[in-house]
Amino acid sequence: MKWFKKGASEKPENLEEMVKDLKQSIDFVDYENKESDQPYRLIYFASLIDPEQLHRDLLPVIKESRSKSLEDLKGILPIENIEISSKLPLIQERLLEGHVAIQLSRGQKVLLVNISLRKSRDLSAPEIEFSVMGPKEGLVEDLHTNMNLLRRRIPHPRLRMKEITIGTVSKTKVVVAFIEGVASEQNINTVMQRLEDLDFDIISDSSFIGQMLEDNSLSVFPQMIDTERTDRITGHMNFGAFAILTEGSSNALIGPINFGQLLVSFEDYYLGWNIASFFRIVRMIAILASIIATPLYVAVLTYHYELFPSKLLATLISSRSDIPFSPVVEVFFLEVTIDLLREAGARMPTKVGQTLGIVGGIVIGTAAVEASLTSNILLILVALSALASFTTPVYRMTNTIRFLRYPLILFAQLLGLIGVALFGLFILTHMIRLTSFGNPYLAPLYPPRIKDWYDSFFRLPYVMQKNRFQFFRGKQSKRFEDKKKRKHSLDFDEQ
Amino acid sequence: MSDLEQGNRNDLLISPFLIMFIIHSNQVGVGVLGFQRYIAAYAGNDAWIVVIVTGLIFHLFIWMMYRILSDGTFDIIDLHNKWFGKWIGSVFNLALMMYLLLGTIVILRTFIEVIQAWMFPELATWIPVALYLLLTYYVLAGGFRTVAGICFFGVIIPVWLVFTATAPIKFSTFSNLLPMMDHSLKDFALGTRQMTLSYVGIDILLLAYPFLKNPRSSRIWAHMGVLLTTLVYTMVMIVSLAFYSAGQLQQSIWSTLIAWKVVELPFVERFEYIGITFWCFVVFPNICLTMWGASRVGKKVLHIKQKYFVIILIAFVFTVCVMVVNRDQVDYLNTLTSIIGTYVYYFYIPFIFLYSMIWRRVKKRI
Repeated sequence: MKWFKKGASEKPENLEEMVKDLKQSIDFVDYENKESDQPYRLIYFASLIDPEQLHRDLLPVIKESRSKSLEDLKGILPIENIEISSKLPLIQERLLEGHVAIQLSRGQKVLLVNISLRKSRDLSAPEIEFSVMGPKEGLVEDLHTNMNLLRRRIPHPRLRMKEITIGTVSKTKVVVAFIEGVASEQNINTVMQRLEDLDFDIISDSSFIGQMLEDNSLSVFPQMIDTERTDRITGHMNFGAFAILTEGSSNALIGPINFGQLLVSFEDYYLGWNIASFFRIVRMIAILASIIATPLYVAVLTYHYELFPSKLLATLISSRSDIPFSPVVEVFFLEVTIDLLREAGARMPTKVGQTLGIVGGIVIGTAAVEASLTSNILLILVALSALASFTTPVYRMTNTIRFLRYPLILFAQLLGLIGVALFGLFILTHMIRLTSFGNPYLAPLYPPRIKDWYDSFFRLPYVMQKNRFQFFRGKQSKRFEDKKKRKHSLDFDEQ
Repeated sequence: MSDLEQGNRNDLLISPFLIMFIIHSNQVGVGVLGFQRYIAAYAGNDAWIVVIVTGLIFHLFIWMMYRILSDGTFDIIDLHNKWFGKWIGSVFNLALMMYLLLGTIVILRTFIEVIQAWMFPELATWIPVALYLLLTYYVLAGGFRTVAGICFFGVIIPVWLVFTATAPIKFSTFSNLLPMMDHSLKDFALGTRQMTLSYVGIDILLLAYPFLKNPRSSRIWAHMGVLLTTLVYTMVMIVSLAFYSAGQLQQSIWSTLIAWKVVELPFVERFEYIGITFWCFVVFPNICLTMWGASRVGKKVLHIKQKYFVIILIAFVFTVCVMVVNRDQVDYLNTLTSIIGTYVYYFYIPFIFLYSMIWRRVKKRI
């Protein structure tokens, strides 16, 4: 950011020079009233302040005050957060935050009053992480609203929010929220340290921070969860995680996480434990199948066709008999098509996108089969695996799954089933080595922590969730006390 | 003091019960796919008794090893140096390294022999060897916790294959096992000697011991590891003896793989392909553990950093594996390992056990 540093090096000597410099922008106002009984001067960015507040709360008080000094004025203004300063960098910073600088007479000292305007859209239901059951409350781009949402859900004195400013140009406010005692100090220290060490110019979204905070930035696996659901954020904070809220971003980051949590939809907690466990297992199978379905097709049809029973083989051969390509070309063609559709659907305006996505899928799919470019069976496989990949509750994980199959297809072409197994070993090793803020990624599977299994691949009833996950190593390990303890179990006809 | 004392020791250590997976995964390798005929050649239908007896002997070895290692701050490399002095100790340590490397080479090359025999007859040896060794480097770079993780998943992921043993039962005649105890003591002894190769691998305990939290409490898990191996081998042996006739078994080089052919699934005809694919996960921990052990020796004796020494080891293993070109040479390697393994277990471990006992009596220290 050379242009910025160059600008900053020409530091204004005094207030007038600074005002002259800032006046080059059209939204900068420097208004001086000498005629009235009470002369005053206002300096502010018209685009940042709330004009209503200026005219209603500020100007009448100044006019009627007849105060001779800024200190007097500070005493009577009905607004909090007023400061008097003559430090130019501070004044400039405050002006850019939406403060008004007031002077009664020329000089270096100004009174800074915060009347900044907050414009934010209304709350809306989460669009990316949709759920049938549960609260429909999503984060918005305004940091204060988001903090309010969290605080209302956890009205507890131990809910701490620590602020830090990141970005040399954007000066983005970032808040780390956690419940003290539940979150481990070590994790909080790690994240605060990493946030302080961040060096960047403009933070456009929380995902910028997410990518820069990750333990292993080479990995394709998300090491934090991006979420817009407030119930998910507070739920994870209650496990012992922290949430990072970013000004201007409707996504919060949750960390530390483990791999299993990426496969958990928060709706699982709203369904009964047995139903939720069943869906979790279905989701896990779907994800595994989604990754290996097409690579297995390539591996088996290229090298190990004798693996199939003769009847199934006949079906396969008859569906592939007209196709002039090898399985790998066929698979690549169709997988890329699906990813094109997905990408086009994501970029297009919603109304056009949906229709075009579905119609395009059918047209391209059937046409490709009729033109003997791909086989029916592959079309079914690819469609199913695409469907399965979208069952993942975390969007970034969906992308990971879609990405992973391409190298896997290559390895399947290279070494057949052995290639698939070897690449599987590579992913396994990678996941064993991966950490999220120093916590093992595959926990509670490896290192095995059987006490944490009550809410992992399956979910047990809430009465059996008395203890917090060992994974987060918080001090408060008990979630709640079990009040009604039965002395003996009742027999039939005793209830 | 041990080199683990430096730095954050706790972050490098693993739970004691993981030693079960480490020992079990280092014992079970390619051997399961075709060990039956070597044992049955001597003990015939009593081969399964030989399997159990050898398992019991290995429990004894575990016991000896825990006596040798005692309090857990030293591995066998340190102990060699303490007991025999720097020079003779180094000779012992380097011999240990060569033994571990031989283990890597045998298991990797034999498995690739299986792949070549069953799935890819024209596959160049160097491709899977290179891929496996690159993966090994990636694992070792993650430290012992990653190695232990690979052992854990190397047991967990293929564990369902145990159920495939039920498939041949339909075609089995269990009267094959009768009459029991029909062989001479000499046959049993020779069978046990043959069986040793399949059980070899608990030696990794001598090196992994300082990496365990509360190493003393891990003893029960080490025994569980050997027990698990014994159960697997016994099951495979009994099923094979009942499934094959005596003559047929001698004809089958890869008896387990052939028996897998009878597994029937609605969409899978030749199940052994799936078995071999999953065997990639069984073989990998062996390679990682032996390479890790060898690199530990390099670090402690030759004072070369593990991250560089592993590269040398990989180059060495790669070269040797590629030089082995046919079935006879693979067989020779296996026989050689069998002989060396026999000496290691039946002479070296009892010797070092007695030596440690006497040393501690006389010197009153570790």
